[in-house]
Amino acid sequence: MSYIALFGNPNTGKTSLFNCLTGSYEYVGNWSGVTVEKKIGVLRQHGVSVVDLPGVYSLQPLSRDEGVATDFLLTEPCSAIVNIVDASQLRRNLHLTVQLLEFGRPVVIALNMVDVAEKRGVKVDAAKLSKYLGVPVIPVIARTGKGTNELVHAVLAAKDKPHSSIAVDYGVEVENAIRSIAEQLPDDVPGNKRWAALQFLEGNERIAAYLRGRFDLSPLLAIREETEQALGCQAAKHIYETRDRWISETIAATAIEFEQKPLTLTEKIDAVVTNRYVGLPIFLALMYVVFMLTFNWLGTPLADRLDAFFSGPLADGLSRFLDWAGASPFIKALVLDGVVAGVGGVLVFVPQIFILFFFISLLEDSGYMARVAMVMDRVMEAIGLNGKAFIPMIIGFGCNVPGVMAARTIEQPKERLMTILALPFMSCSARLPVYALFAGTFFAREQALVVFSLYVLGIVVALGLAKLFSSTLLKNENSLFVIELPPYRVPQALTLWRSTWEKGKGFIRKAGTFIFGGSVAIWLLTYVGPRGVGVPMDDSLLAAIGGLIAPLLSPLGFGAWQAGAALITGFLAKEVVVSTMNIIYHVHEENGLKQVIASHFTPLSAFSFMVFVLLYTPCLATVAAIRKETGSWKWTLLSIGIALTVAYMISLLVYQAGKIVGFP
Amino acid sequence: MVLTDLHKGETAVVVRLAIEQEALKQRLLHLGVKEGKTVRLKAAMPFGGPVMIEIDGQAIGLRRKEASSIEVK
Repeated sequence: MSYIALFGNPNTGKTSLFNCLTGSYEYVGNWSGVTVEKKIGVLRQHGVSVVDLPGVYSLQPLSRDEGVATDFLLTEPCSAIVNIVDASQLRRNLHLTVQLLEFGRPVVIALNMVDVAEKRGVKVDAAKLSKYLGVPVIPVIARTGKGTNELVHAVLAAKDKPHSSIAVDYGVEVENAIRSIAEQLPDDVPGNKRWAALQFLEGNERIAAYLRGRFDLSPLLAIREETEQALGCQAAKHIYETRDRWISETIAATAIEFEQKPLTLTEKIDAVVTNRYVGLPIFLALMYVVFMLTFNWLGTPLADRLDAFFSGPLADGLSRFLDWAGASPFIKALVLDGVVAGVGGVLVFVPQIFILFFFISLLEDSGYMARVAMVMDRVMEAIGLNGKAFIPMIIGFGCNVPGVMAARTIEQPKERLMTILALPFMSCSARLPVYALFAGTFFAREQALVVFSLYVLGIVVALGLAKLFSSTLLKNENSLFVIELPPYRVPQALTLWRSTWEKGKGFIRKAGTFIFGGSVAIWLLTYVGPRGVGVPMDDSLLAAIGGLIAPLLSPLGFGAWQAGAALITGFLAKEVVVSTMNIIYHVHEENGLKQVIASHFTPLSAFSFMVFVLLYTPCLATVAAIRKETGSWKWTLLSIGIALTVAYMISLLVYQAGKIVGFP
Repeated sequence: MVLTDLHKGETAVVVRLAIEQEALKQRLLHLGVKEGKTVRLKAAMPFGGPVMIEIDGQAIGLRRKEASSIEVK
C-alpha cells in the first residue's frame, strides 16, 4: 500500500485540504499543532489512500507530533507528496518544500492562502513558481475546497512517476561530504541517498537513529566533523543559509511584493486581547460569559424542556407501547427504570454540552487560542509549565482524551508529562451532567457561579499539582516557549457546526453504547440481591457494593450507599454517575429526581460530592490515553492515585470546613 | 541593544541570536527569526511575561528572557 502524503508547515490548512480530498471531517482549527497524529483517508472516487500529517517547519523534529511526520517518510512508502504551502509565508514554507523535493518522491504543491497573501501585498505567480521548482503548483483555497479537482488531477498524473529533483548547490565542501556519505549508505535507505546524507549532515536525530540501527555511524560522524571544520561553522547553519539564499532567489523571481501591509483586523483585535493590562481579564470574562450561556441563559432552559419531554411524553409513550406489545413487568421495568432513566438522564444535558463545544470550537477556529497561550504563559511559567500547555487544558474542558493527545505539541518531555498529569483535573463535559443535576437542585439561582467555581477549582488543582511536580519529581532545567500567532479569521458556519458536532457526537455515541450498557447492568444490579431477585433497592447487590465504600465517604458528607455506588460506576465514564443516580432514585413523577436528591443531600454535601466527582479519577478512556501517551503504567497509576487522594482531601476539607462555618 | 529594549511598535534589525538552547534557536530560525530580518515589538505581557513580535508579517510569541538574547540594532 502506497500513500499520498500531505506535508506542510503548521496551520497552513493541511487538514482542511485533507477533508476536501477525502470527504472526511477531521478536526481543524486556527493554531499550530491541531493535528498531532497521522490520519488516513481515501481520495474521493479514486481509491487512493491519503495521509494527513502533523505540521512541521522542517524535517528535523523538535516535538513529538513533528516526529510523526519525519517517521512517516522513513518508514512508510509514499507514491506522491502534496506539499501545502502558505502563500503569505512563502519563505518559511519553502524551507520544508526544498527538503521534500530533495527526498526524491513526486511532489505537487498546493498553494494555499493566496487571498491572505494578496491582502498582505504579495502576489505569487503559480506558473513561474512551478517552473522554478520543477513540480506542479496548484492554487487552492483549502477552507472552501476550491482548486481540489485540479490538485487531484495533478497528483494522479505525478504519482509514481520518476521525478527529477531540483538540486540546490550547497558548495564544494558539503557536496563532497554528501557524496562520501551517500557512498556508505545502504541501498534500502528511504528517499534519495543525497537527501538522507543532507539530513544527516544537518543533524537530524531521527535519521541518525534510523541509520544507527543499521550500521556503525562513526565514519559518517567523522565526515560531518571534517566538513564543519572546512566550513568553519555548523553544517546545519551552512545548509540552512544556502537554502535560504536559494529561496530568496526563487521568491524574487516568482512573487511580486507590492507593499507590506499589516492585517488591520488582526492588529486591532490583538491591540485589545493581548493588551498588557486587560488581556488576562478579557480572557476570564469571556470564559465567564461562556459558562453563563451554557448553564444559566441558554443551556438550562433547553435542558429542562428536553427533560420534560423524556420523563413525560417519551416515557408514557414507551410505557403504553410496552403494554400494547405485551412486555413482561421485568422488561418494562428494565426499559423504563433502567434504560430510559439511565440514558435519558444523561441525554437531557445534550444542550449544555453542545453549547460548550460550540464555544470551544469557536475559540479554536478564530485564532484566539494561540493568544490565550501567550496571555497565560507568565502564570504557567511560574508553575513550571509554558503557555502552550494551556491549549490542551482548554481542549480538556471538552474531553480529557484529546487534551492528553494535544500535549504532544509541547517540546519539552517533562513539561509534556506534567501537562498530561494535570489534565484529568480539567473539568470535562462528562462531568457537566453531574453539576447540572446537583447545582440545578441545590443552587438553582447561583448555578453558573457554582459550576464556574468547580471549573476554577479544577484549574487550581491542576496547576498546583504541576507546581508540586515541577519543584520535586520533574525539575525542569530549561523550559521553552515559542508560539506562532496566526491571523484571526471569521469562522465559517459549516466548519463550526462540523467541529461542534464531531465533539458532541462522541457524547451521544457514548450514551448509546457505554451508558446504555452501564444502565442495563446497573439496573440489573439493583434488581438482583444476595437474597433473590426483585428485592427492594436497599437489599440489592448494588447497595451491597456501594455500601462497601460508603463508610469511607461519610466524612465527606455523602456516606449513603447510593453515592458510593454512583462513584464506583462513574469510573467507566463520569456521566454514569448521573445514570446510576437516576436509576437508583427513579421516580415516575416529573422533576422527581431533583426532589429525591434534595432529600438525600444537603447543599453542602452536594457541593462536596460535586468536588469529589470533579477530581476523583480520570475516566477509563482518559486512563487509556494517559497510558498510551506516557508509555508508562507507573505514571498512569500515579495519576489515578493522586486524583483519588486529592479528591478525598479537598472534599473532606470542603465538607468539614463548611460544617464548622455553618453551611446547611 | 536587544529586542526587549524596543518600545511597543518600534522596529529594528536582528543582528545576532545569542540563544543557548539549540531547540529554541532552531524553532526561531524556522519561524524566520534570523540575522538581517526586520522585527517589530508588538506587545509585552505584564510581570515579565512573554513578548509578541512581528517578522515577515508573522506574529510570534516568545519569552522575555529569550527575546533579550536577540541582539538588534
